[in-house]
Amino acid sequence: MCSACGFPPAIGHWTDAGGATPHDRLRIRFSRIALLKKLLQPHSIFVHEMGPSQGVQISNGRGKTVICEDLDEVWKQFELFTGSAFDPLNL
Amino acid sequence: MNEVDNRIKLIIVSGFLGAGKSTWLRHQLFENSYDLAHVIVNEVAVHSVDDVLLGAARRLDVLDGGCVCCDKKSQMKQLLHRICNERTSKSNNEQSKYLIFEMSGVADPGNILEAIQDDQILSRHIILHEIIVIVDYLHAIDQLREEPLALSQIQAADRILIAKAENFQPVQLAQLISTLNTINSNVEIKMTSFGVESEKPILPITNPIEIKFSNNNFENTPIHSVSLDLKKFKSDQNTWIVFSTWLSSLLYKHGEKIVRIKGVIKTPGGRLLLQSVKKIMQPPEKMPDDLPYYSGQDDDKIVLIGRSFNSTKILDSLDRFFKDA
Repeated sequence: MCSACGFPPAIGHWTDAGGATPHDRLRIRFSRIALLKKLLQPHSIFVHEMGPSQGVQISNGRGKTVICEDLDEVWKQFELFTGSAFDPLNL
Repeated sequence: MNEVDNRIKLIIVSGFLGAGKSTWLRHQLFENSYDLAHVIVNEVAVHSVDDVLLGAARRLDVLDGGCVCCDKKSQMKQLLHRICNERTSKSNNEQSKYLIFEMSGVADPGNILEAIQDDQILSRHIILHEIIVIVDYLHAIDQLREEPLALSQIQAADRILIAKAENFQPVQLAQLISTLNTINSNVEIKMTSFGVESEKPILPITNPIEIKFSNNNFENTPIHSVSLDLKKFKSDQNTWIVFSTWLSSLLYKHGEKIVRIKGVIKTPGGRLLLQSVKKIMQPPEKMPDDLPYYSGQDDDKIVLIGRSFNSTKILDSLDRFFKDA
């Protein structure tokens, strides 16, 4: 629970599972960001990690940057930036 | 860190109107199959009779006068909040381990899960354990033909129990089972008679009955399943990262085509049970490392069930994703 507002933080996206220790979780997060960078760069979408804080920054290379809490938001933002959703079936 | 998942396990009992849900549940409660279960009954009728039938439940709540899918959704959420809240204040020994939700015959299990998942608090307290669908041997085929909802219930099922088949005709029963298997190939099918479960009898081999609706909408498109074997991508630590990234992008773009996803995947933090009902992924459940009845044979195998997708394209896409990663 957040000590400032008393509300439980978001439960975490399902993709955030998979790490038993803080080290694992951090490693998963950084590896995932590295993967996203590779995937989205060909579409001129750039991904930046935000150090130890949750979330990831994505920018369209034309001055617009948005913080995304989880992967679903990344895909949503990608669609807003590029006009079409990222399609893993048409890589 | 405490690794024990203390969330209440949700068992959804679904099935079309009059299929025999309450009969089955009443017997399970009588037999005490589910330790300290909290039972919720949803009835479309204004006056519920099920709560009278289910007197054996230690903790019982009734939502009557509407279906929890739509008009009773907020009452359902309120009730679930209350149950979770009360449960938190109890000691471990007194806490209900199972929440059995007997849905009305006209509810779609997927909608209930979506409502729970969308709620910040409920999603922390409740975890889906199993969707059990009771099927009426005498009327199932007619219901499947006439009601797309009956079809959604079968698609969502983890376990199907065929009721009212005491005087079954072998060919008819075989046809029903093969039809159910066509709709949901991944499901376990058993028989139930007045709540007592038994294995399927030995039956002749028959073809499924073709289910056709009069209007040709998306719901009628045939369902395929594709099995993803992640073992071939070398079981290093990155399997989970690459696969979950791939799957989340697939769900975002093609989620409407997905009916169900289920499987076990190895991660740095242990084995995770992945499952979705439609495109809604459940929070992955961590499986204990030493299950006596499980030797790891299903690790890193994920089954994807969906409509109008191209299995080869999906497998190629996954291959490419792993190659590029």
